[in-house]
Amino acid sequence: MKLASFIVKRLFLMLLVLFGVSVLVFVISKVIPADPVGAILGGNAPVELVEDLRRRLGLDKPLINQFFDYMSGLLKGDLGTSLKTNRPVVKDIAEFFPATLELAICATLLSVVLGILLGILSAVYRNRFIDHFSRVFSILGVSMPVFWTGLLLLLLFYFRLGWLPGGGRLSLFVTPPTKYTGLLVLDSLLSGNMEAFKDALAHLVLPTIVLGYSATASIARITRASMLDVLRQDFIRTAKAKGIGKRLVIYRHALRNALIPVVTIIGLTFGGLLEGAVLTETIFSWPGLGRYIVNALLVLDYPAIMGGTLFVAVIYSLVNLVVDIVYAALDPRMRI
Amino acid sequence: MKKLLVLTLVVLTLVVAYAKTPKDTLVIAANTEIFITLDPAVCYETFAAAVVTAAYSGLTKIEPVNGVLTPVPELAERWEVSPDGTVWKFYLRKGLKFSNGDPLTAEDVVFSFRRVLKIRKSPAWLFEELGLTAENMQETIYAEDDRTVVLKTKPLAANIVLSIIAPPWGGIVNKKLVLANEVNGDLGEAYLTDKSIGAGAGPYVVTEWKRREMITMEANPYYWRGQPPLKRIIIRDVPEETTQFLLVQRGDVDVAWNITTEQAAQLRESEPSNIRLVTTPEQSNEYIAMNVGWGPFKDERVRLAIKYAIDYDAIINSVMRGFAVLNQNFMPIGYFGYIELNPFKRDVEKAKQLLAEAGYPNGFEVELITSTTEIRRNEAVIVQSNLAEIGIKANIVLMPSGEMYQKYRQQGHQMIIAGWGIDYPDPDALAKPFANYRVKQLAWRNMWYDDYAADLAEKAGVEQDPEKRAQLYKELQEYWIYKSPFVMLYQPVGFWAVSNDVVGFEKACEGYTLVFDFTKISKK
Repeated sequence: MKLASFIVKRLFLMLLVLFGVSVLVFVISKVIPADPVGAILGGNAPVELVEDLRRRLGLDKPLINQFFDYMSGLLKGDLGTSLKTNRPVVKDIAEFFPATLELAICATLLSVVLGILLGILSAVYRNRFIDHFSRVFSILGVSMPVFWTGLLLLLLFYFRLGWLPGGGRLSLFVTPPTKYTGLLVLDSLLSGNMEAFKDALAHLVLPTIVLGYSATASIARITRASMLDVLRQDFIRTAKAKGIGKRLVIYRHALRNALIPVVTIIGLTFGGLLEGAVLTETIFSWPGLGRYIVNALLVLDYPAIMGGTLFVAVIYSLVNLVVDIVYAALDPRMRI
Repeated sequence: MKKLLVLTLVVLTLVVAYAKTPKDTLVIAANTEIFITLDPAVCYETFAAAVVTAAYSGLTKIEPVNGVLTPVPELAERWEVSPDGTVWKFYLRKGLKFSNGDPLTAEDVVFSFRRVLKIRKSPAWLFEELGLTAENMQETIYAEDDRTVVLKTKPLAANIVLSIIAPPWGGIVNKKLVLANEVNGDLGEAYLTDKSIGAGAGPYVVTEWKRREMITMEANPYYWRGQPPLKRIIIRDVPEETTQFLLVQRGDVDVAWNITTEQAAQLRESEPSNIRLVTTPEQSNEYIAMNVGWGPFKDERVRLAIKYAIDYDAIINSVMRGFAVLNQNFMPIGYFGYIELNPFKRDVEKAKQLLAEAGYPNGFEVELITSTTEIRRNEAVIVQSNLAEIGIKANIVLMPSGEMYQKYRQQGHQMIIAGWGIDYPDPDALAKPFANYRVKQLAWRNMWYDDYAADLAEKAGVEQDPEKRAQLYKELQEYWIYKSPFVMLYQPVGFWAVSNDVVGFEKACEGYTLVFDFTKISKK
C-alpha cells in the first residue's frame, strides 16, 4: 500500500473514532447522577431558580433533541458554551492549550534526548555503573509521585536557593511578549523581548523537569530493553565482524531498529502531555488545559467536559496517526 | 568539560532576580478556580464577590459597625421609607462618576437592578425576595429624577432591603457603556465577565482577568471617596496551597489567601519575622442535617439524641485545628437578635436513653452523605464514630458537591454534612432557610414542615419595630435549637498568611465571607 492511501485510510478511521467518542461522551454526561445547573448556581440557590435556568439552557428537552443540537453544533465546529466561564468552549481551549503545548514540547524534548541517551548507554554498558544508575533513575522516575517531586523541587530551587521562580508562566512585573503563537518562549523571541524570553524559560525549567522525569524514565527503560534485544541479533554480529566501528554499529544499525517501540512510547507520552498534566499544572500554577478539564469535571460543566474530551481525542488520534506514519517510514512492512 | 561549562553558563543565565512586590501594589496568591464571572448581576462566589464589590459601588455598602455588619450609605447619601416599609426613596450623592468619567445617575441604578432580574442568574432570587421581579420591575424600580430612585418592595424589615441592594449584586453598572457592548441581547454579560473598565463606580477597576493567571485591579480616579491607598491589586492564580505558602514566605506575594488549617496552625505556633496569621470569624456555618421525612428521623427524640451524641470539641479541635467557634445557633455570633445558645455537649448516656425512648435501643443504619473535601471527610469520620457509640451505623458516602446538592435539593438524602454561606447580614438570611420550609430551602430540603417555626421566621422578617423583631428571633432560636433537624457544628474562622508589610488587613477582612474591603489595606 502506498503511504498516501495508508494515511487516507487512517484519517477515515480517525473520523469514526471521533464520532464514537462524541457519542460516548454525550451519553456519559447525561447518565451521571448530578445536576450541572445546580452545581453552577451553588448550594444556596432555590429550586425554582435551578429549574428556570435548566429550561433556559435547553436541558429539559428530550435527550434525542439535545443530542441533535450537540451534533449539529459539532459539525459547525461549535463545542458549545462553557457553563462555568460563559465563553465558547473553543475559545477556552484556544486560550489554555498553548500553555500546555509549550510545556509538553519541552518535557517531550527533555525526555526523548535524555531517555534515549540513557537507554543506549545502559544497554551498551550493561551491568556497569551507568546501567545501574540509569535503572535506579528510571525506577525512581516512574514510581515517585509527581506531586511530591514537584513540591520538593519547588522547595529546593525556589524556596531555599531562590534560583528559579515559584510557578506561573511569567513573572508579574515582566512585560509579556506580543502574542503570535501563545507559546511564550517563542513569542518573546519573535518579538525580541529578551527579558520575557529569559523569564519564560526560567519558569519552564521546574515543570519541564517534573513532567519530563517520568517520561524520561519510561523512554530509557524501553530503549534499553529494545537495544539489548537488537544488539543480540545476527546482523549486528555481522556488522561487527565486518569491522564497522562500534559507534556506527550502535547508532546506524542498532538504534534505528530499536527505535520502533520507543516511537510508540514517545507518541503516547506526547499525547498524554498534550492533554495537560493536572498535578504539575496545579503545583506550578500553570494555566493549562489539564486544570481546565479537571475543573470542568468537578463543577459538572458538561459542554467543557465534552469539548475538552473531544479535543483530547483529536490530539490522541493525530499523535497516533503521526506515530503510524513514522512507523511506516521506519519499517516498510507496517504499510502492508 | 567545555560542554559542561557551557551548560552551566546557560543554567546560570536562567537564574533571574525576582523583584519583591512594589509598595503601591498588593499581590495576593489565591486559588481563583471558583471564579465564574465578575459581572455583578451574575457573580455569587465568595472571593469573586469581594472583587466585584471593589469594582462596583452600590446605593449602600455593608460595613462592620461596632463589630456588627451594617448597611451604610454609599452612592445614596440618604433614603426615606414609608411607615409600612414598602416604598423606598434613595437620593444619590451629587457629582457621582463611573471610572471612565461618565456621570452616574438614577437611570443607571434602575438599569442595574432591572438587569439582575432580567438576566436571572444566581443572585436574582435575592431581589425576588424583596418582591421585585422581571414582570413587575417597570412599576417597582424606577427613577423619579436624575438623583432619586424609587423601589417598591414587599413589607420587610429595613435591614433586609438595605443589605440585599448592597454590592456585589446591587453594584451599579454604567448603562451607556454596557448597552454599547451588548452582544445578542446579553445585557453586556459577556463584556462584564472579565473586566469593569468604565463600567463601575467602586474604588477599584478590574482592568484585566486572565483566567488561571491573574486578575488586575487599578485604583479608580473618580471614586467618590477619593482614591484608595493602594494603586494596584494583583490576584495571582496559585491553585496549590503549599505553593501559596512558599510564595508569601519568600515575599513574592503579600497574601496567601488559601492556606491549609495545618499551615495556619503552624503560623499560629511560631510566626516567622516577615509574615503573620490574620483570622476573623466567617459569615457561614457548618452543620449536619437529618431528613425528617426519612425513617427514624421522623421522631424528634432521635434527632435530639444525635445532637447529644456529637463531639463538637473534637471536630473543632482536630478537624478545624481550633479555627472554628462553637455556635449551635443558626445565626452567626453577634447578629441582630442573636442569643448565645450552646446547650448540647457530648452525652452518650443521654443520647442512648433518647434513642431507647424513641424505640431504637439498638440504633439503626443511616446513609451519611457529604462532599469530597478533606474537612468534610474528616468531619464525617468523627460523626460516624460518635454515632457508632450510640448504636447508629452511619455509612459515609462522599460525592462531588454538584451531585450532593442535586440529591439534597430533591430531598433524596437521609443525613448530610454541609455548610451555608450567608447571603446578606440579617437574621432573616438564616431564619428563612433554616426555619421556614415555605421558601423551599434548607428546612424544606429536610422536610421539616414546621408551621410554628415558619410563622415566626416570616413575622420576624416583616416586623418594623426592632425590639419586637429581636423578641421574635429569640423565640425562634429557643424553639429551633431543640426541634429542628439541624446539628450546627461550628462557625468557621477564616485565616490568611499576610506579609508584615501589609497594613490594615485585619480591618479589611472583618465580615468575610460576606464582605472584604480592599480600601482598608495599605503597605509600609
